[in-house]
Amino acid sequence: MNLIALGEKYFDEVEISKYRRREVDISVELNRISMASSSERSITVVRGIKDKRMGICVVEGDDHAIEDAILRAYKMARVNDRDERWESLPTKQRYREATKVDESLKEIGSDFFVNLLLRAIENIRREDENAVVAGGSSGSMWIESNVENSHGVDISQRYGATYFYLYLIGRKGEQVTPGIFDIDARRDTNLQWEFVVDRLLRKLEKAYNVVKAEKGESRVIFEPFALGELLEFTLIPSIKGERKVKGTSYLQDKLNDRVVSEKLTIEDDPLHPMSIVNIIADDEGVATQKSTIFENGVFKGFLWDNYWGKIEGIDSTGNGYRSFKTGGIEIAPHNLVIKEGNIPVEDMIGDIEDGYLVSLLQGAHSSNPATGDFNVVANPAFRIQDGEISGSTVFMMSGNVYDLLGRVERISKEQRMIYAMGKGVYPHIEFTDVKIAPVNR
Amino acid sequence: MIIVAELDSLISWAEKNLGVEYIEIRYEDIFKHHMALKDGVFSTFTSLHLSGYGIRVLVDGAWGFSITNKEERLKDSIIDAYKMAKASSFSMKEKIELAEIESVDDHVPSKMRIKPHEVDMEEKVKRMRGLEKILKEDKDVSSSEIRYEDATGEKLLVTNEGTHIGWDVNYIWQYISLVGKNEKGMASVRDEIGSVDEGWEIFEKENEEEIAKRMMRKLKSQLNGIQAKRGEYPVVASPIIVGIIAHEALGHLAEADLTINSPFHTLIGKKIAPEYVSMSDRIVEGGFGNDSYDDEGVAVRDVHIIEKGILKEIMLNREYAARYGMKPNGHARAENYGVSPIIRMRNTVFERGDYDVEELFEGIKFGYYLVDFRGGQAELNSSFQVGIQEGYIIRNGEIAESIKDTSISGIAIEALKHISAVGKDFGIEMGRCGKGQMAYVSSGGPHMKFEKGIIVGGQR
Repeated sequence: MNLIALGEKYFDEVEISKYRRREVDISVELNRISMASSSERSITVVRGIKDKRMGICVVEGDDHAIEDAILRAYKMARVNDRDERWESLPTKQRYREATKVDESLKEIGSDFFVNLLLRAIENIRREDENAVVAGGSSGSMWIESNVENSHGVDISQRYGATYFYLYLIGRKGEQVTPGIFDIDARRDTNLQWEFVVDRLLRKLEKAYNVVKAEKGESRVIFEPFALGELLEFTLIPSIKGERKVKGTSYLQDKLNDRVVSEKLTIEDDPLHPMSIVNIIADDEGVATQKSTIFENGVFKGFLWDNYWGKIEGIDSTGNGYRSFKTGGIEIAPHNLVIKEGNIPVEDMIGDIEDGYLVSLLQGAHSSNPATGDFNVVANPAFRIQDGEISGSTVFMMSGNVYDLLGRVERISKEQRMIYAMGKGVYPHIEFTDVKIAPVNR
Repeated sequence: MIIVAELDSLISWAEKNLGVEYIEIRYEDIFKHHMALKDGVFSTFTSLHLSGYGIRVLVDGAWGFSITNKEERLKDSIIDAYKMAKASSFSMKEKIELAEIESVDDHVPSKMRIKPHEVDMEEKVKRMRGLEKILKEDKDVSSSEIRYEDATGEKLLVTNEGTHIGWDVNYIWQYISLVGKNEKGMASVRDEIGSVDEGWEIFEKENEEEIAKRMMRKLKSQLNGIQAKRGEYPVVASPIIVGIIAHEALGHLAEADLTINSPFHTLIGKKIAPEYVSMSDRIVEGGFGNDSYDDEGVAVRDVHIIEKGILKEIMLNREYAARYGMKPNGHARAENYGVSPIIRMRNTVFERGDYDVEELFEGIKFGYYLVDFRGGQAELNSSFQVGIQEGYIIRNGEIAESIKDTSISGIAIEALKHISAVGKDFGIEMGRCGKGQMAYVSSGGPHMKFEKGIIVGGQR
């Protein structure tokens, strides 16, 4: 059945987006496999507009369920108010060539991930008898999607990824180290689990020795995960075009101004070689692109979806993201890339007489998205003394993200793919004069 | 709709043909409405229909889980769950066991007076529009977002142990965020309410004027606030703040799957706080985590985590109850049929003390009165962080200027020792907790005074 034609009987314009997601996940708890899951789920989102009134319906199931969803979306639209700023759904697009997809990800079995996890647990327990694999998981996802609308958009995509992450603690008597986390995520099955295990063990070894942080201002190296967490809740809200239109972005009047350190170039690049989701169209069917956000510290532009782009009078940058919990579209980066520097991480640490290395943050989500002000806890964090990590510590860091990004000292040449908060490709970055308050232990 | 007898028949088939030790099927059929009103426009105006089956099996001491939203695929999905369990069972040196429970045959009706589906969409739109209008009347408000969600439907749990429980599922949830701007700068604040027991009637007390008054107080305190001074000072914490400390910094450590890796592991039965400090996860009037049974069919009971300063009980599912040799207490919760149940909090609260709230401020030359938060997070070593969206300086026992953009931190098991007084008042706040899955929870307690142990972060 032509569902778009059916939808057009009710709506002026309609969009039908279908997603089929297959996942395998093997979880670990307390040094053993705790759960093995498989799931296959089909979700369809109907978005229709009648007389500038929008209605959305989200359903699980087949074409019959989608027919019902069209009617439900229509009922919603009838009671919605007119949105005078609504222009139209996206028109037909020209897409880039899709990246080759590893088809084996579609059918990869649970045995593969069970085996990786068991080998990792065995290695960890052999190397450190006080280490506990407190949590973790390995698995795969395979997604097939199709976005179609009344204006000729009809784009199907398929992609898959694998992941492997562990969360370690060390327990000696009553002493418990902070949790140490690391992950690898890829578009193929070559998960670097041994690399992850090695990094975890090296950090855990240092974490047993607890040292005090000192109140004051210090040099701090943010690891990629910590950087991703911080930017997710401070910088990223302000690069969304919606906030620009509403006047609630810190960056709204700073186009082409130097806002952060000239050492920083930040792009949104869904087709970056390290990106695990190489998509050529967003959830509205708009072609994705590489969008430069900061070039050598100069602010170059916002990210847009179809609705807010049209209000601003410019094209969408292909950053419309759909929430499956609400069916709504939000602006979001696909894969934020901070350009690498030229110094190895080991040398960055080796050059610091007294400073800190921050692995993860607590409370980045309580930052002020309007101003970029933050007060977060660095945990786990490590103290660097005379060029070496001397032990683990916990401290609060206060500041403003734009001020912080203006005080970049050095950027590592290594980058990591972060598939969590602040999703993207990040190096280690060293900042100067970070305000610190120790948290007692 | 699925007939229970068909599920029983499939379960018998799985026992006979696959040799599963335990099997449960959770079925859900839920209708939701989600609306987001952002600066005059409904950016999301959605009807959702989510329906499917979650199947969990225990085979040779290992768990397997699978889902389907097609009734005709149920048997295949049981086989998938079985294969998943078998994939790891060979590695289980220590087999997973479940604590014994009595089977239950029950139906849990809704306590709501007016269920969400009994209210016209027009009425829901009108209420949100009215609330937005009042919020926008203040010249300092530059942007607002009101999110509303409700759900109506049914949930069913059937196990091979003979449990058959059906629930009328209903909830109401609302989240508001405001961005404000004045000559001193920009600020953002949030507010959240929700209910599983009260229906549309919740808006009689949570009416537009009441919510707007609360939001403006928070926003003005941020916009007109001064920077806090970094360091460790005496703190008087409101019910909302003690609630988030109870939840984030202590509650998570008392979830048995996390207890085992936390300082609580070796502290059960020991004194960890003054004798006037008690904390529970329990049924609370209006609590967002209230229920009669958990998603393993275990009756929910109060868990006295800290009783008169002693760490007494932890929250359990059947697996961890067996591991600890304790009785399960109804804390296995699944966000929906698509995920398996894990140990979660419900309503985590400090219990009342015997101080008048005013007495808590006495004797503080310089300190902070912390009233409301935006976001909190804790680590297994009991380190916690809570963002403060409404707080004030206490100077010579009096509430003085408001503070802006700060957060607090500490090591919870240390901070507990420095509680010097507990108020006789009580309040709770509704919220959501993320632990891989989202759960509706509440947290609260009385006003409490911390002499030390709470570090205030700040730009000064």
